Amino acid sequence: MKLQHMLAMATLGLVISGPAFAQSELDLVEPIVEYKLYVTERTTQLIEGVTAFVDAIKSGELEKAKALYPAVRVPYEEIEPIAELFSDLDVSIDSRADDYELAEVDPEFPGFHRIEYGLWSRNSTEDLDEVADKLLADVTELHSRIEALTFPPEKVVGGAAVLMEEVALTKISGEENRYSRTDLWDFKANSEGAYTIVNLVRPLIADTEVDFLTEVDANFDKVFTTLAKYEKGDGYVSYLELTEADRNALSAAINTLAEDLSTLRGKLGLD
Amino acid sequence: MANDKTKSPSSSSNLKRRSFLGGIGLLAGACPFTTLALAAPAVLPAEANGHVTDAPLANATSPDDRVPFQGLHQAGIATPRPANGMVASFGVIADTPDDLEHLFRRLTARIGFLTVGGEPPLADPRLPPSDSGIVGPIVRPNGLTITIGLGASLFDDRAWLIDHKPMRLSRMTRFPNDALDAALCHGDLSLQICANTQDTTIHALRDIIKSLSDRLVLKWKQEGNVPVITPGLDQSVESSRNFLGFRDGSANPDAGDDHVMDQLVWVGARSGEPEWAECGSYQSVRIVRNFVERWDRTPLREQELIMGRVRNSGAPLDQPDASEFDVPDYAADMEGLSTPLDSHIRLANPRTAETAESIILRRPFNYSNGVTKAGQLDQGLLFICYQADLEKGFIAVQRRLDGEPLEEYIKPVGGGYFFALPGMRGDADYLGSTLIAALRKAQTQTS
Repeated sequence: MKLQHMLAMATLGLVISGPAFAQSELDLVEPIVEYKLYVTERTTQLIEGVTAFVDAIKSGELEKAKALYPAVRVPYEEIEPIAELFSDLDVSIDSRADDYELAEVDPEFPGFHRIEYGLWSRNSTEDLDEVADKLLADVTELHSRIEALTFPPEKVVGGAAVLMEEVALTKISGEENRYSRTDLWDFKANSEGAYTIVNLVRPLIADTEVDFLTEVDANFDKVFTTLAKYEKGDGYVSYLELTEADRNALSAAINTLAEDLSTLRGKLGLD
Repeated sequence: MANDKTKSPSSSSNLKRRSFLGGIGLLAGACPFTTLALAAPAVLPAEANGHVTDAPLANATSPDDRVPFQGLHQAGIATPRPANGMVASFGVIADTPDDLEHLFRRLTARIGFLTVGGEPPLADPRLPPSDSGIVGPIVRPNGLTITIGLGASLFDDRAWLIDHKPMRLSRMTRFPNDALDAALCHGDLSLQICANTQDTTIHALRDIIKSLSDRLVLKWKQEGNVPVITPGLDQSVESSRNFLGFRDGSANPDAGDDHVMDQLVWVGARSGEPEWAECGSYQSVRIVRNFVERWDRTPLREQELIMGRVRNSGAPLDQPDASEFDVPDYAADMEGLSTPLDSHIRLANPRTAETAESIILRRPFNYSNGVTKAGQLDQGLLFICYQADLEKGFIAVQRRLDGEPLEEYIKPVGGGYFFALPGMRGDADYLGSTLIAALRKAQTQTS
């Protein structure tokens, strides 16, 4: 057992913790192994989802493609900190029109949001076959790269804050899915992804960081209960239905989570 | 106190200046906690300034300039206007009086640290630093003031607060020349942040955003500045110019005259306002875009007739060889032959007995943001003013200005009305405590 841990540590390249945070580096091995299982499960779902999505687009089933879109993105949004480690794929899968000089009509504009623009703003599946094929190829590539990846612990632990930063940066404003207004799905997925990481490392700080965990749990609870008010069927109503008061409440909870979770790496002794 | 304002040779107001303590003495009876306040301030201001809008003096400021944040009134209203200012507006997360008290206490603690200065606590380098570091490892006050205002929505949206709303506090409504952008308007809480340098104001804003993320959600902000002025050979100091090239602030009431301030700026005991609001003030903020390209294509004579002053000197038009501090004689010019009846300064302040109570304390900054879609400069005035009665003050003034010829060159696009809290009584007190006490009292009475 001891030997296995040592080997795992070596492959994970764990950074040794200092005296301020008396955390055994061994303790992180198990959460990270579990997190990798979680991530590969999500990328498997992502490939399945995108496959059906691409089929719908290529067979011209506009309404079906629209219905699939928000749920297909969920596994990607849940694991964004890991997906973002491959910046070429992240750009190709999930960049937004703002990232391109000519915005929506820029021929370089790819991925989910290019398709979203076509389905909603142009109300059509036309001219999307090539973009759709590329999306499927990209998520398949993502899956195999992640399988081969040694997860950097600081990226995993830091990922909880990164996900909250994502929400604070683009989801709270409704800019991410501006054509479909399905931002609340992403909102939930990012938050779930962050909470998963917190729960994986929770045993390591449960005794030493009681107040911290209480506050973090309370803020996640605020996010999830506020979002629950907007559930509809298996998903969520349009972002436009979010009230100003709830948007404020979510924004405060999200930013406070981003602040709090930004200390998680340090609390676990990771540089 | 490195900032010895006694040296500042503002021509009009030196004689009228009084020390801060003297001011408090004169105010006895005007505010409910006067006697307590006398014992309070640990640091005294060098001087209360005569004219809030006297231009900041070149080479006269120091990073150690400190404006006391405790006292009868909040700092940043009747205290001298430094070179840089900002208004930031927030949504407030507070479901109970406890939540609001929590917000006020923590905000006061941050204001206490930032306006006094010191060394932020060092954190383990594996944690995010406690301070942004943009002003260096030691935070120096640099003349910083942070003034808290409360918007109508804070009260209107909360059943437990609504009965405590200041009587004249309303949601800013559109004036005929306005083109208000919803993203730049209103808010539950405003912070006016002023300092000698821009980095100090930005540092303060970032500190508060980081420290209070669970209670404050930033809605909009506008930064501005005013040019610093080198005194002339005769030691006179002109008012700073706005982006229309005219001096702004010439006819401001004398902030060194406590009687004038009590009448015009501070909410007093017999105002009909809730007791907790005494010693506070109504804050009106307007983001007023200036069409500077069009203005620069307007003949000088026309510019002067629109404003009512000589551009270069600031002199009133009926005394073109006088200075900006000389007062126009409208009684001798009833037909507006010298100063047109619809000129900006004449409409804003007709200098009649009937309009005397609509005099407001202006504390504006110029802003320069970027370029519009039409390729024009996005510049203008971050107009801030204070008054004891919002309706008799800013709203009355703006109604008189509605339709003025200047409107062709300006467009208000944002802002809001807020109530600047009363001051605080010492280290154990906090900004907003009188409102919280009123809420507690109401709670006990109903339970």
